[in-house]
Amino acid sequence: MTEQAQAGAQTDVVGGRVESRGRWRDFRRVFFGNRLALTGTAVMALFIFCALFAPIIAPYDPYEQDLTAKFAPPTSQHWLGQDELGRDILSRLIYGARVSLTAGLAAVAFATVVGTVIGVTAGYVGRWVDSVLMRLMDVILAFPTILLAIVIVTILGPSLTNAMLAVGIVNVPQLARVVRSAVITVRERDYVEAERALGAGNLQIVRTAILPNSLAPLIVQATLTLATAILDIAALSFLGLGARPPTPEWGAMLTDAFRSGFGVFVTGQHAIIFPGVAIALSVLSVNFIGDGLRDALDPRQRR
Amino acid sequence: MKIRELSRREFLAVSGMTGAGLVVAGCGGGETIGGEEEGGGDGQPQEGGTFTFGRGSDSVTLDPIHATDGESLIVCRQIFDGLLDFEPETTDLVPALAVEVPEPEEDGLVYTFPLREGVTFHDGTPFNAEAVVFNFERWMNSGNEYHAGGGPQASDFSYYSGMFGGFDEESIIESVEAVDEYTVRFRLREPQGPFLRNIAMSPFGIASPAAIQEDVEEFWRNPVGTGPFRFVEWNQGSTVRLEKNEEWWGTDVPVEEGGGGPFVDEVVFQSIDDNTSRVAALAGGQLSGADGLTPDDVPTIEQDPNLKVIFRPPLNVGYLAMHTQKEPFNDVNVRRAINHAIDMEAIVQAFFGETGEVATNPMPPTVPFFNEGVERYPYDPDRARELLAEAGYEDGFDTELWFMPIPRPYMPDGRGIAQAIASDLQEVGINCELVTFEWGTYIERTGRGEHPMALLGWTGDNGDPDNFLNIHFNSANATEENALNIAYYENDEVDELLNRGASTIDEGEREEAYMRVQEIIMEDAPWVTIAYTRPPLGFQNRVQGYLPSPTGGESFNSVYLSG
Repeated sequence: MTEQAQAGAQTDVVGGRVESRGRWRDFRRVFFGNRLALTGTAVMALFIFCALFAPIIAPYDPYEQDLTAKFAPPTSQHWLGQDELGRDILSRLIYGARVSLTAGLAAVAFATVVGTVIGVTAGYVGRWVDSVLMRLMDVILAFPTILLAIVIVTILGPSLTNAMLAVGIVNVPQLARVVRSAVITVRERDYVEAERALGAGNLQIVRTAILPNSLAPLIVQATLTLATAILDIAALSFLGLGARPPTPEWGAMLTDAFRSGFGVFVTGQHAIIFPGVAIALSVLSVNFIGDGLRDALDPRQRR
Repeated sequence: MKIRELSRREFLAVSGMTGAGLVVAGCGGGETIGGEEEGGGDGQPQEGGTFTFGRGSDSVTLDPIHATDGESLIVCRQIFDGLLDFEPETTDLVPALAVEVPEPEEDGLVYTFPLREGVTFHDGTPFNAEAVVFNFERWMNSGNEYHAGGGPQASDFSYYSGMFGGFDEESIIESVEAVDEYTVRFRLREPQGPFLRNIAMSPFGIASPAAIQEDVEEFWRNPVGTGPFRFVEWNQGSTVRLEKNEEWWGTDVPVEEGGGGPFVDEVVFQSIDDNTSRVAALAGGQLSGADGLTPDDVPTIEQDPNLKVIFRPPLNVGYLAMHTQKEPFNDVNVRRAINHAIDMEAIVQAFFGETGEVATNPMPPTVPFFNEGVERYPYDPDRARELLAEAGYEDGFDTELWFMPIPRPYMPDGRGIAQAIASDLQEVGINCELVTFEWGTYIERTGRGEHPMALLGWTGDNGDPDNFLNIHFNSANATEENALNIAYYENDEVDELLNRGASTIDEGEREEAYMRVQEIIMEDAPWVTIAYTRPPLGFQNRVQGYLPSPTGGESFNSVYLSG
């Protein structure tokens, strides 16, 4: 944020400092005043804590099977019950946080980097480069994301890495568009002209003036994309196109349970409900955080 | 023989294009239907009513010779009769359109079938020796005017070429002639051990020559046979409707020999691809019966006071094949070690429940010449480690274990079973990466031998040991493409025994050959056999007289609705 503030403050050094402090305060006030965003942050913090310290927190080895305890219901030893191979569901969910969140983050990181490069190039260079790149993005956008992801994974072969890559690719256009429109609004600003007048090269202008000032919408969009990425990766795993067994990925845990048939609805509901709840909670939390960020960072909405 | 082929439903389920099909992917495509007769009902069978049978996917064609999938064949089974049939619930032979099961003549080169008199096709034309000749000539001569039809997904008479060696000069059947109006004589180019069993298979149902001559291209959706039910309408993708054939020849034949009935006025085959919805429709009373249940559905249905479960006699085997020409599986000690390392009792208990039993031989005990004397390698991880050490793998090794992406009748949960097997193998130091592909790709790649270890299975179609042992262990089937011998097992002695078993009609000689093959296979351990499955079917309690066939395609003539 400070970088952004400095960049924004270049035209008026004194006023800039004041404005910088004001912005951060505004951000905190709006974001932390938003109860949903706060709840989301708390839940995500819990998931991240689980992911970081999984080996310490998890009560059991997430891979240890006990075929005699197939779909055993929750007990005092196994708080969330056991799955179709008698593995402890709680431990698998805790380890699963690592897999699912990392996979989601990796996909978003990929989409963000590629999307930013494309968006900045299109927005800053303009002309035919803009047209070509954005039409390309439109082509990708024309397909439903999950369908396109399925096609990509089917071509590359099912694995968690390929699922991450596929989800990353299908989310590139959204980010590229957001970055492009931000860059276009910033491009003609006085401080960009000033940099250029001072003799800065294109790369330097992008780095010091354009990017920092396009960051707010990018952060919001990337956060919202994280939510869909987590969901899409879970969906791919559910279809058998993502994490390979016995990886405790949340979507894969669902499919493992479902494969046992109609009976699972009677005897093994816990094996469906808990991974489902984990996916839902993480997606909701990230969405709340994203909404909170948007409210806090978008000056128009703030007014 | 084409039973492992990819059906449209399976394709959709795997590729995830249908919302509903995803979850259940399973329901086992075509070949699961069946069970055990329960009590047989009390007193006289009642006439009338509609028998609605829910299944996982629609038929592909109703011209039996073009059908390869179970869902097409079970419908054809109602409309057509063959010369011979399998006795209900077994794979023993009984006469159908023939009056008796013929004895081989001239050392198995000639078979003479006396035919049933007074039988008419559903279109009113008479059944006679000429009709039989017409059908066989249509099937076996690729130049025949009527060697055509079958619809858009016709298999090109593949069951004929598969069971009888090929068409024209390659056909094992050299000629079929009408000796008189009700006698037909087959002349073979060479003796064939399973000949009569092949003749009894449902693809070889006799069709009305008049109907085929009228429009061979449209016959696949206007089928005309002599069977207990006649075709009414086919609403593609959803229902096939049949009505009772009042003039069926089998009404006075004893039920044990495949006769009796038909009792219900109407039979409706209803396709519901989502397994959960199908089971729910059964529980809700919209279906009289349903196939494609998973092992976990069994207790659910048994607990419902209005429903019952019937098990189909097993005619299948699920297995783990090791590529015997790749390291380290080219060492018999490694293969035996893997056999010792897996606790199959626990796995079968957990994944098959009541529906399966641990397999020993590569064919189920319902098949003749099953060798009772062969025993599995006992579960013994210590022995497995010793054997691995002898083979030079004290520290184990890393490999891949391939598993099927969708449930099959012979293996309801390949994904779960693979995880359980990998966990057992890890105990003895073998680390397996679990690998899978979309189902069509899976069959293609295993058929090219790209796997080190792969799960797969087989549903038999005529109950002959040749149909299990020859296809899986004859080196002739260890081909570069579309291999059925995916262990790539090659053993000259086994080849010689299998060829002898297939080409002789001497039962004693066949028995000796197949018995010995099973012993050698256990010694050489190209597979870890997993289970024989009794696929479960669910029914309303009022459904009586359902006699499931191990082959998966039974006649509904004996079915009636009580109360």
